[in-house]
Order: sequence, then structure tokens, then C-alpha cells
Amino acid sequence: MRFFLASLALVASSSSPSATAFVVPSSSSSSSIAAAAKIATTSLDASKCGNYDYDVIIIGCGVGGHGAALHSRSQELSTAIFSGNDVGGTCVNRGCVPSKALLAASGRVREMRATEHLGEFGIKVEGEVTYDREGVARHAKQLANRVKGNLEGSLVALGVDIIEGRGILVGGGAGAGEVHEVKDATSGKVYTAKDIILAPGSIPFVPPGVTVDEKTVYTSDGALELQSVPQWVAIIGSGYIGLEFSDVYTALGSEVTFIEALPNIMPTFDREIAKQAERLLIRDRPIDYRTGVFASEVTPGIPGVKPVTIKMIDAKTKEHVETLEVDAAMVATGRVPNTANMGLESAGIETSRGFVAVDPQMRVMTKHGDEGVVIPNLYCIGDANGKMMLAHAASAQGISAIENICGRSHTVNHDAIPAACFTHPEIAMVGPTEEQAIERAAKEGWTLGKSQGSFRANSKALAELEGNGMAKVLYNKESGKVVAVHIIGIHAADLIQECANAVAAGTTVQELSMMVHTHPTLCEVLDEAFKGAVGMSAH
Amino acid sequence: MKFIAGISSATALFCLLAWTDPEAARAFVPSTTTKTSSSSSSVASSSSFGLARRRGHQRRSTSLDAEAIKITMPALSSTMKEGRVVTWLKSEGDAIEAGEAIMVVESDKADMDVEAFEDGYLAKILTREGETAEVGSVVALVAALEGDIASIAEGGGDDAAPPAAAIVAEAGPAAGVGAPDVEFSQLDMPALSSTMKEGKVVSWLKSEGDAVGAGEAIMVVESDKADMDVEAFEDGFIAAIITGEGEAAAVGSPVALIASNEADIPALKAYAATLAGGGGGGGGGAAPAPVSALASPVVAAKAPPKATAAPAASAGGRVVASPLAKTMAADMGIDISTVVGTGPDGRITAADVQNAALSPAAPAAAKKGAAAAPKVPSWTPAAGVIAATPTARALAKKAKLDLSTIVGTGEFGRVTADDVKMATGEIKPKKKSVALGAPAPVELPEGLVPFTGMQRAVSNNMEKTLDCPVFRASREIEMDAFNELYQQVKPKGVTVSALLAKAVAKALEKHPIVNSSYRKEGTFFNKDINIAMAVAIDGGLITPVLKNANERGVLDLGEDWKGLVDKAKAGTLKPDEYNSGTFTISNMGMFGISQFDAILPSGQGGILAVAGTQEYIVPCKQAVLGMKKISKMTVTLTCDHRQIYGADAALFLKTFSEIMMSPKSLV
Repeated sequence: MRFFLASLALVASSSSPSATAFVVPSSSSSSSIAAAAKIATTSLDASKCGNYDYDVIIIGCGVGGHGAALHSRSQELSTAIFSGNDVGGTCVNRGCVPSKALLAASGRVREMRATEHLGEFGIKVEGEVTYDREGVARHAKQLANRVKGNLEGSLVALGVDIIEGRGILVGGGAGAGEVHEVKDATSGKVYTAKDIILAPGSIPFVPPGVTVDEKTVYTSDGALELQSVPQWVAIIGSGYIGLEFSDVYTALGSEVTFIEALPNIMPTFDREIAKQAERLLIRDRPIDYRTGVFASEVTPGIPGVKPVTIKMIDAKTKEHVETLEVDAAMVATGRVPNTANMGLESAGIETSRGFVAVDPQMRVMTKHGDEGVVIPNLYCIGDANGKMMLAHAASAQGISAIENICGRSHTVNHDAIPAACFTHPEIAMVGPTEEQAIERAAKEGWTLGKSQGSFRANSKALAELEGNGMAKVLYNKESGKVVAVHIIGIHAADLIQECANAVAAGTTVQELSMMVHTHPTLCEVLDEAFKGAVGMSAH
Repeated sequence: MKFIAGISSATALFCLLAWTDPEAARAFVPSTTTKTSSSSSSVASSSSFGLARRRGHQRRSTSLDAEAIKITMPALSSTMKEGRVVTWLKSEGDAIEAGEAIMVVESDKADMDVEAFEDGYLAKILTREGETAEVGSVVALVAALEGDIASIAEGGGDDAAPPAAAIVAEAGPAAGVGAPDVEFSQLDMPALSSTMKEGKVVSWLKSEGDAVGAGEAIMVVESDKADMDVEAFEDGFIAAIITGEGEAAAVGSPVALIASNEADIPALKAYAATLAGGGGGGGGGAAPAPVSALASPVVAAKAPPKATAAPAASAGGRVVASPLAKTMAADMGIDISTVVGTGPDGRITAADVQNAALSPAAPAAAKKGAAAAPKVPSWTPAAGVIAATPTARALAKKAKLDLSTIVGTGEFGRVTADDVKMATGEIKPKKKSVALGAPAPVELPEGLVPFTGMQRAVSNNMEKTLDCPVFRASREIEMDAFNELYQQVKPKGVTVSALLAKAVAKALEKHPIVNSSYRKEGTFFNKDINIAMAVAIDGGLITPVLKNANERGVLDLGEDWKGLVDKAKAGTLKPDEYNSGTFTISNMGMFGISQFDAILPSGQGGILAVAGTQEYIVPCKQAVLGMKKISKMTVTLTCDHRQIYGADAALFLKTFSEIMMSPKSLV
């Protein structure tokens, strides 16, 4: 704390002392040391952090903002967070968390309806396995509310001030330096802080031509409410979100058609994994797909009266190829930053498709590319910077931003951030895809090694009668360091952590091959792969 | 990761390496074939795996003198074209055992051990350490016998020109049946792991006749490690599937034939039949019809119909619609240009839009009685739309069914998987299931079930009764005494039915009018008291008759009755045993019925409907609490009012009641 008060003078804003209209002299540079005497603009105790209301203001209360706030308090920085009436953000309210509830419920339905599979265990289910759609939806809603409550409680307990409105940056301006003021869009009240972290998150992207009514044509926001279980649902986009929902829908009895604009289904996944996933998650299920086509026109339907119409055109020739009439369409074509109307433009920040440019320390740049200038006290984390649109990545970036605010230069190693897709079975990964790794190895001049473990040879997987899947370890042959791991198979999401830690710590396959794995566990799939990399055999 | 070098003896002509790619679960089948253009190379017909592209007429068999075994460069990954021998783990002259690692090969992905398939002696190394060889080319020769090492080492020095000595009998299956003279390739069961001996085809992703492209997955094979997709190596058409789904095939044996030209499919199918026989050789006699090379390829007559944008947009004309209609159309997501206007000058009104939403196929037809429009209108898919779910489409394709011939029962009339299965006869038609997740609907019978003879007779008899004016009279009867008696005589074998019949018969003796029949001319008094009692039997209702019930003992009646019921159930009652009744009893007391009345059978004067016994609390001065419990039963008499009057019925019931209340006389 003291350090910061002292250093304040060095990096202090050139902001004008106007209490209401905050005009920043355009001539000032970011390195200005002309610390203007700033009068506290709010009733909050200004004395505790010098001239500012807070040491840190965080705009956005999703997982990223929350992670930043927790770390900020652990560093004893006075902290406020603008929740925009959305404590928990996308992940907790409309994303990862409720979708896990749907997957958990639907997964059980799938399991209990898999009579042949159960029969192999010697289990028989008499009668039909049924579910109550509203009950499933309620489980998701209650989970989200509970997690949200926990999250809010932790902020309050740690002494973070939660400001309910949406935060809007005030001040800055063309070529201006630091920004210190944030206005509460609801009350109009302005708060000041020495450092500001933008964590506004993202919203679903809806391609042009698609009309969303959130009833028959919906994004993940609507899908999570599970308003209906359509007989046939088209999912536009075959990324994580689309794939997880195809899992939910098919488990509950729907049929699914994927519409993918790129030439391959599941284009963001490692190709080899995608091919396995196609067999395990698509081909054996009531799912088909079209690739290389755009859903150029999607018109909502009226349940029981009129189906949803989807006109598809070739991604290249733009010619009409097919029209589908389905019961529902889910738009899962990615997400776009939620950065509009938060004062970025007036603060002199140019976004690209809404994304805010940041430097490796998560500091906001005035624009993308070489011409961008760092705004030293303004950070942007999470989906809004587009580096890695994952909740835990946002949180890691938030912690990193606080570290940098504390003067300890820190960067996030995005290669070591794992990701998972919670289908049945799960897909998990850390590091680049094999295709990217090959390119990287060629460019950087090292040799890529590859080793694999299979679930079918794993006792635990066999006990669970879940022998499908693989884990592949990509490593640098010269250094032995793990570059990436891709897993598809039962509990892949829980298995990836060991690999993420290895990537983060720079552990070598030689070291990993000598580490003891519990028997009999699924971890032995990785054991097999690590050992295989150094020419050893596993059980 | 270990790999086995497939080693086959020279008699198998061409030796190929078992190849596996456990890292790449996609199991790309490597091209391990010879160059057909090269006159000197030997081309195998049976031992190759992967897509061995061959020209039948160019097949030639050559071999080495001695029992030489070739080791070829394995494909260690899907992308591997050539491999570098990093190390030979064995030297020339060394003995090698099956399963033993003999060399280390560097592929584009990793270094891997290659194991031997068979025992033998390493005779000659053709590709030395550090050298590279194309996948499928011979890298070493192995002698089966130690003594042959020298001769093989000499002879095999130049693989490009192997001594064409012993012409081995055609190794192709079903010797004598040659492959048709068409361009095709053979898909063999790949070795997907080092320990795999045979593979089961889990599923074919393509059907016979389907076009396949290089790199496209065509089947899923189950190995001991994983299920893997096997991809096609070349473009072509699946001519014949030799190993069906669920069947297993030995590694290297053919599982399908792939034609280069669609027209060659029939010839290859015939050829496949000879292959399918395999070693068993059963059947396979039909020689394949030689296919003329001139056979013009069938040009796909059915070019995929280019689906035009669904609703034909009104030609050029400006859309004239009311603002409300436009807004409503936009809200409903209806293309307003497809709506037929009924307003002035054909302007589209809001009602037109509503109608269009309700029955988009026939907006004009719907315009008249909008109010009478069906609540759930049938939906006609737009032009070019295939109204079938993904599974239905896949199933129909597999069953080679035209979806347009199948009636859809899904949402918006779309064809579902069940509809297709019904069309193929895989499942029986059943009622459409209600909302997903709802409890399974009760399977209710549906449709006309013709009457059996008995049912027809019953319905005819019932219709006849409509001409008869009847009246009904009911009476409650205290049953305590009767029950008491019944408990006493039950051990002797007396039944309730017999007691009832006897009681009724006794009452009829006193009131013969109730035992009479109506005649046009007057009342016909029946001489005998024959008590018919209704019995429900499987598929109908019948009334066996206890003749002269008034004169017989209850034991006799009970025995008689038992016999009659057995006969009724067996369908062996004689007409006299069921149509000679003069009075009928219908007893539903055992079902807990509290009161009912029966229909009077034509020809009889009365029928007594006997309901169940119920307990009541009634006041009783003698009882300690001023009340007692009694049992009562309600009987209802239905009589033909043409000759029997209410008083007759009342008196009969009174007598019957008295008999029942002092039943000693019955036994």
C-alpha cells in the first residue's frame, strides 16, 4: 500500500481537477509526472488511497473481474467492482455453470437410457427413463443463482465495494494518457481510482441474416433456459458451446444438425481429436452436419404452427445450397466483446471488432498494431481482449493485472491455460493443436515429439466401460518439455490439469515419465503417454 | 509404440507390413500397393491390405526361389510417405522371432520400433541404416530356414527384378475365378495395432454404390485398442461390401471392393461374391460376367436437384400490403411476398398474414373460413426442403428408401427415424408418442376388430330386445341368514350360484307369471323352470342353463353348473344347454357392484340382476349400542311388461326375499 502511495506521484494522472466534466489536456503524455491535485468526487473515504476513491476499480463482475477483485484485496488494495447488475457474468449466469447443470442432468438421462451399455454392467432399467424438462431447467437456474450468491458473498466478505450499475470510463480522449474516472451508468455518480481494470466480458455473436427471438431461434442465453426440447434443432457453429448443447439435446431426445461455416466440423479443435470426437459425439448420435455453408437467413418459427426456416449458402460461392425447416435453431457462432458504450472511444481507445488491444501485462493499448500506445493505468482482461475467451483465463489475467498494478511485472502464459468441452465423453486440451505445434516447431527450429495413451488399455476406463478415447502428448524433443496435451475420453477435463501444470512449470517428459501415477486411475492414460515419449512402456 | 512388420512368405507373393497408427486413431489405411505399371513388380491379390489398386488383366505372379520373406517399410502414421531406418536391431544372419523388434524407423511423427511377424533369419538388408525407403517398399529379406540365407541374399539383391522362377498358383481366393477386367481397388482389413489379428467392422459409413473420396472415412473398425475410422485412399465407388457390419475379417483379407467407375459395380459385386466365400469356398461358383471395358459409365441421371429458394417470389411485382400485415408478417417471420392478398386490389391484409401463418401451403384456401381454420394445421415444407430428421435421412439412405414416399409423423409432418423404421418393417406402427419426457403413453387398441361368432350373436340378441317394453323393480335383501347358511354348506361343495338358482327357482314356483313368455296371442307359461345364468367368457357372454332348478338339490345344481361353465369356456355347450332358459340370473356381486339392472333376453319373461352384498349399520333395540350390523344385497328384476306387471314383480321379489332370509329350505 505504501509503495503505491509513493509511486503515485510518478505515474499520476494528468487529469484535470474538474469534479464533474473531466477534461484531459490533450498535450499531456502518459509519463507525465504532473500530479494534479485531485479532489475526491465522492463521499467515499478518499484518504485511504490518496487522491482517489479506490486503488482499483474493476468494470465487470464476471469470473475475470471477480478473480481480479479477490487478488486486489489480497494485496490490500481498496477495490470497487461495477457489476452492471450482472454479478457472476456470463460464466455463472449464462455460460459454463448452468450448462454444466444441463449436461449433468442430460448425461444421466443418456446413461440410464443406454440399456445396452447398462446391460454390460448387469444393470437393467425397467420401464422408460423420463425427465421433467422444467425440473432440469430449474436445476440449471438454481445452480447459477447459488454460484452467483457465493461469488457476491465472497466479494462483500473481502471488503470489495460492489457498484450495481454498468461502469463507463470518463475522460481520456485523443492521445490522452491515464484514465481515472468511472461513471455509474445507473446513478450517474463518478468514482475515481488509481488503476482501472476493464472486464466487461462478451455477448453471443449473431451473424447477419439470423433473427433471434430467444424462443425458437436462440443463442446460448436462451438455450440455457431449456424452454423446450425440440424434436430437431439446428446448431449453427460447432465449437465448444454448440458441441456441449448437442450433447444435452441428443441426450434428451432431440436430433441435431450442425451448420458449420468452415470446411471442417469442430474446426477449432486439434484435427485428430476432432476426428475422434466426430465418431464419439456425432456419428453415433442422431446428429448430422453441413460444413462450408453459412446459415444466411434464419427465420424464427411459431411452435406448432410454423417451423424455423434456415437458408444455407455455400461459404465460398454464396449460392443457395439447402433450406432446412427445423423446430429450433441455436446460434453458437462465437462471442463478441461487450465493449460498446463504455466510454472507450472517448478515452481514445480504438477497438477492433470490439476487442480491446492489450500488451502482455494486460495494459490497454490505444489501438491494435504497432501504433498502439500503452495506457499505463488501464487494464483489460477476459473476453474483451480476445486473447483467450475462457472464464479461468480471464481470472488469470485479472490476477496478472493486479500483479502488474503492484509493480511486479507479470504475464500470463496462455499456452499453459487448459480448456475443456464437457461433452460425454469430455474433450480437454492445453497448448496449441498439433497442426499449430508443427508450424511452431518449424518456425522456432525444434523437433516436435508425439506420444499417446489410450483409454481402451486403461483399467479404470474399462471398469467404467468407457474405453473410447485417447490422450496425446506433444513435446519438444530437444528439451523434453511438454508443449501441448489433447485428451478425449471420460473425465478428460479433470485429467488435463496435470498437463497444464507441466506446461506451466516446464516439466519434461523425462521427469513426468518418472512420476508415479495412482493405480488404477484414468491418470494412467497420461502415464502411458509420458512413458511412451521416452521409450518406456506403461502397464 | 511398437509396430509389427508384416512379413509374409513369398508364396503369398507380396509382403506387406502390418501397419498401425495408434497415435493417430484415425487409422488411415496406407497405400501399400505395388505400382501396377511396373512390369517387374509382383502384384498380390490376397495378402495386401489397404487399397490395393490393381488392374485385373495385369496381374502377374512372381516369386523368389527360396522361401523368402520380405519386410517392407511400414506406414507409421497417416502422413508418412517414406521412412528412414534409424537402426537395425538385427544383423544379417541373425535369427529373428515373431514379435521381436528388428529395426527402428523414423517417421514424420516419431521413431518407432518395428517388430517381426514371423520367425526366420535376417538374410539381406536392402535399406541400410540412415537410408530412407518408400512406404511399402522392401527393406529386408528374411529366410524361413537358416540354409536359405545365402540364396535369398543373392537372389534378392535387386528387388526391382526378382527372379521370376516359380510361378505360384494364383493366391487369389477361389482359384480360377479371376477378377473382372475393370479398374478397381480392394479394401483390406488393416492392422490397427500390433496385436491385432482380425478386426470387426463396427459400421460401414458408406453403402454399396456410394461414391467415396480419398481421405473420407468409409468404415469403423474395432481393434483391441480403439474403434478407428478407416479412410479411403482413392476416389471411387463402393462396389461391394464383403465383410458386413458386425462381422470380423482377418487382417489383410478383403472387406470391400472399390470401383473406379460406377458402371463396373455389378461386375465387381459378382467378383466380390467369390471373395466373400473366402477359404470356405462355399457357393462362389458363379463366374463373374466379364465386363466389357467399353461399358459406358452410367452418367448420373439424377443430378442433385438444385433446390431453389423455397417460396416462389411473386414475379417482379411490388408487394402491396397493409402496414399491420407487414408488421405482423415480420413478427411471424413470414415472407410477405409469399402471402396471397385478398384485400382491395389484391392487397395483403393482416388476416391474410394470419392465414398464411396457419396454412402457408394454401393461403388462398384458408382465406375464407379463418375462424374455422384447424388449430394445428398441417405444414407443407417449402420447395427443396427435405422434411426428415437427420436420423431419418441416414436410415432412409441406408435402406435405399425414397423419403418422399414415407408419411411423416414428426413435427410439421416431417419424417422421423421411427417412420423410416416402420416403412422398412423394422418396427410396428404405433401411436405417436406424446411430448418427449412424458410418461410412455398407454398402448390403446385402435381400429376395427371383427366380431367373433359369439359376439355377433350377442349383439344380434341385444338388438332384438329393443322391441320389448320392460320395467325394472329393485329390492334390498338381508343376507345374514343366507351367508350363515352358505358358510355351513360350503364345505359340502355347495356354491353361491347353485343356491341363488335354487332360491330363484323356488320363488318362480310361486309366481309362474314371472317364468312366462310373451306370445302375440297371450301369455305362454313355461312348464319347466330353467334358470339361465350369464357367464362372461373370453370373447363373449353366454348363458348356460340349469334345467328344472326348482326340483333339484343344490349339490346337484352346483355340480351341473360347474360342468356347464367348463363347457362354456371350452366352447362345447350344446344349443339346448344355453338357449333353453326360462328365466335368467345375472350375478355381478363378486365384482363389488352395488346395484345394476340387466337387459331382458328375448323370449323370457324376466331377468334378475344380483349385485354385491354390502354391510350396513341399522338401528336395533335389542343391541347393546342400539344398533347392529347387517348385510344387504340389492337385486333388480327386469320384466317384459307385455304380460308381467309391476305387482307380479313385487310379489316375486318379496317371495325371493323371504326365501333368502330363511334359506334353510334351499338345502
